[in-house]
Amino acid sequence: MSTVMSPKDFATATPSWWCPGCGDFGVLSALKQAMAELGKTPKNVAFISGIGCSGKISGYLHSYAFHGVHGRALPVAQAVKLANRNLTVIAAGGDGDGYAIGAGHFLHAVRRNADITYIVMDNQTYGLTKGQSSPTSMTGYITGTSPQGNPDAPINGLAVALAAGGSFLARGFSAHPKLLVDLIKQAVEHKGFSLVEVMSPCVTYNKINTYAWFKENVAYVTENEHYDPTDKQQAFEALSREDKIPLGIIYREQRPTLETLMHLAEMPTVNAVLDPQAPELVALQEAYR
Amino acid sequence: MDSGSHLIVNDIEIMFGGQAGDGSLTTGDLIAGVFKRMGLEVYTYKDFPSRIRGGHTNYVIRAGRHPNYGMADFVDGLVAFDLEAVEAHIEEMRPGGFVIFDNTSETVPDHVKRPDVTWYEIPLAKIAKEDLGLELVRNTISLGVLGALIGMDPQIMRTDVTGVYKRKGDKVVDINMRAIQAGEDYVKAHFAEWPSGYALEAARDGERLLMMGNDAIGYASLVAGCRFIAGYPITPATDILEWMAKYGPKYGAVTIQAEDELAAITMTLGASFTGVRAMTATSGPGQALMTEAIGLAGVLEIPVVVVECARTGPSTGMPTKTEQSNLNHLVFSGHGEIPKIVISPGTVEDSFYLTALAFNLAEKYQMPVFVLTEQALCQSKATLPVLDLSRVKIDRGKLQTDPVVFGEYKRFAFTEDGVSPRVIPGVEGGMHLAPGSEHNELGVITENPKNRARMMEKRMGKMVSAKPDLPAPLVHGDKNARIAVIGYGANRGPIVEAQTRLAAAGTATKFLEMRTLWPFPEEEVRAFIEETDHVFVVENNFTGQLERLVRYVVGPLERMHSVLKYNGRPFRPIEVIEPIERFAAVRGLAGV
Ligand SMILES: Cc1ncc(C[n+]2csc(CCOP(=O)(O)OP(=O)(O)O)c2C)c(N)n1
Ligand code: SF4
Ligand SMILES: [Mg+2]
Repeated sequence: MSTVMSPKDFATATPSWWCPGCGDFGVLSALKQAMAELGKTPKNVAFISGIGCSGKISGYLHSYAFHGVHGRALPVAQAVKLANRNLTVIAAGGDGDGYAIGAGHFLHAVRRNADITYIVMDNQTYGLTKGQSSPTSMTGYITGTSPQGNPDAPINGLAVALAAGGSFLARGFSAHPKLLVDLIKQAVEHKGFSLVEVMSPCVTYNKINTYAWFKENVAYVTENEHYDPTDKQQAFEALSREDKIPLGIIYREQRPTLETLMHLAEMPTVNAVLDPQAPELVALQEAYR
Repeated sequence: MDSGSHLIVNDIEIMFGGQAGDGSLTTGDLIAGVFKRMGLEVYTYKDFPSRIRGGHTNYVIRAGRHPNYGMADFVDGLVAFDLEAVEAHIEEMRPGGFVIFDNTSETVPDHVKRPDVTWYEIPLAKIAKEDLGLELVRNTISLGVLGALIGMDPQIMRTDVTGVYKRKGDKVVDINMRAIQAGEDYVKAHFAEWPSGYALEAARDGERLLMMGNDAIGYASLVAGCRFIAGYPITPATDILEWMAKYGPKYGAVTIQAEDELAAITMTLGASFTGVRAMTATSGPGQALMTEAIGLAGVLEIPVVVVECARTGPSTGMPTKTEQSNLNHLVFSGHGEIPKIVISPGTVEDSFYLTALAFNLAEKYQMPVFVLTEQALCQSKATLPVLDLSRVKIDRGKLQTDPVVFGEYKRFAFTEDGVSPRVIPGVEGGMHLAPGSEHNELGVITENPKNRARMMEKRMGKMVSAKPDLPAPLVHGDKNARIAVIGYGANRGPIVEAQTRLAAAGTATKFLEMRTLWPFPEEEVRAFIEETDHVFVVENNFTGQLERLVRYVVGPLERMHSVLKYNGRPFRPIEVIEPIERFAAVRGLAGV
């Protein structure tokens, strides 16, 4: 790492739109810290976000930031990586963005294993549209669209990802900044698709899953000194716990990345020389003579 | 049997009809290749069912001395592998035409057996099985029969058949050679006194290609510097994705099969945002799914090329059939308003040049560019002159790869032509937010009304800036004619052919082949229809989408008529001629 970076190097001048106390602040500051500690430079970071309160985060990270349409951060992010594999590519969005409207992309991104990082900011509700139930809301959660209680069972995003072949799965809590910075750093360093789900409370709409509630209900997998994050069986067991929400690096493995399996050249796609008159291109016509 | 009194030379339409999966595709391609190598101009049309095995299928191969970009009025020679093929197409036969029928297990009932066509009933399957020991080669026998009847060059035929089966080994080549011979021998033995009425005179095969529309699109993309394609398989667009997957890697092009079209288009945006020329190709159903993200491309001013290979809709419709019913969708779909360009080629050759141009338009004006084509063109093969790659120039517009000064640089800067300098990730100083929300010049989200109005004017203004670069319409026929025809895409072929025949019968027409459909070439269309008595708008849909666009721009016009076809099949020239003549007769037009 040649230059010493500080989290301030990743700050933008744009004032945040988040409510005071929103969990997303913690995610943003951990991300800036992680980028600085990893010695990243803003010009080489592509940060792609979805739509939601959480999706606003791309406006607050000094980088090449892309704030697209609801649920589609992952396809954009994967393509950015394939277009320029030298970039550090991070996608971020809410639980609705990733596990509802973007659920299809989520599954396929997990199994493709492009070398990108995905941060799901999970507040168990739809913040931006004012507190409806989300795919991670608890059954019975009362909202404007579920006045009699949310009838659906919550999605366990990490367990889904584990089953789909996820190669790096972690969960953090936005009120535990140090540990979150560490998780994000390891995720970014991981070669392949890394998923960091962050419990990020919505102080305005979610009056059930509050900071206090989380503090009661989370447990780091490392509390068990025998926990082995390379053991898939243990990972499934941890994710199946009903009493506690497991935090930490739940699972990791090394498997070939999408870039490797697609036989991408070391040189980024974006640097390909474009010459319409290249002799081999002209010669392609021979097949049609 | 009446085989017709005079010989038709170098003008023939062959139809291969049978069940899907029975090999008529390979045989049809072979015939097209032989015709081409005999120096003839070729057009093919695939009329396949949307299933892999079974279901009636046919493949039309047309050959002539002059380029034809469409089907003829009639089928001249039908090669029918079953009765279903005869029953389905006997009405389409030209009086004096001929049918080669495999009578191994079926006979043609008398009421179907038109007396004005020549019948060659041959037990093709039986000969294949009993004499050659392989039923599969009945297609190749039919090739020998056809070749002997119409005078296909036997040597070229053998060379081409060898070329196709070489991969499968000498044994396979050998049995196919014997199959051709068996076909030829059968004709000699049984039909020596029974001519087909058709003949081919070989000319020299000049510097020409035989290429499918979708291949031309794939090829053009690679030549024009496209290095990223994302797509989700859909007929009739998949060929393009497959073409790039096959030829792209050598040039560093990435092909990715997305999980759906929502991903395909957003991946395309991601690659383009990163500075790679990027495209996706789809058909109606996929296009519908892409709508939201195309709006995003509009507001983020990201260049993107979207090839739409139209098929019969709505919903699943008839996936392997042709239609021009997606024009409205491309022009009007989307919430909010964005600048966009819709261009449409009329030939395979034009498919190449317009696709190559699309990448320049997209990057110069930083907006979505649609290349609109349809099944009858994109999955058809045609002969064309060798492509001139020196005509393809790469113009990346205001792409900015040198460092910029952070704080001064504005990704969405207001400029004279509405186009702002565009940086890509990695460029020093260019960091910014590209938000789908309304934003200021820097990319900061704002709902300020003055900024909003100016941003709308900036973005939409680019369509005016782009005008000089858009493909001009072509005028075919007599520029002073008072009967005007307007159309686009695959209809170019049948319309031009109709014009030639109308002219021969004394009716002068002019035809405006539109190659840019949006922004609508208002001045050109106005000027074209100014001094006319009748304007016929020819298109493959029910509601007259192009005709409505014309009205929308030039106002209601009493002398405008819609010529529509919406049965999933392309126009035959007579279907353009008849409405014009009918109208002319009713109105008592001079010269008809
Ligand atoms: C296609 C589409 N449908 C619906 C919306 C409205 N919408 C915006 S954000 C959102 C949900 C956000 O929830 P989540 O992803 O959990 O993010 P949060 O606001 O909770 O951070 C919805 C439904 C939209 N923008 N686009
Ligand atoms: S509504 Fe909830 S999620 Fe949105 S900014 Fe406020 S606290 Fe955060
Ligand atoms: Mg949420």
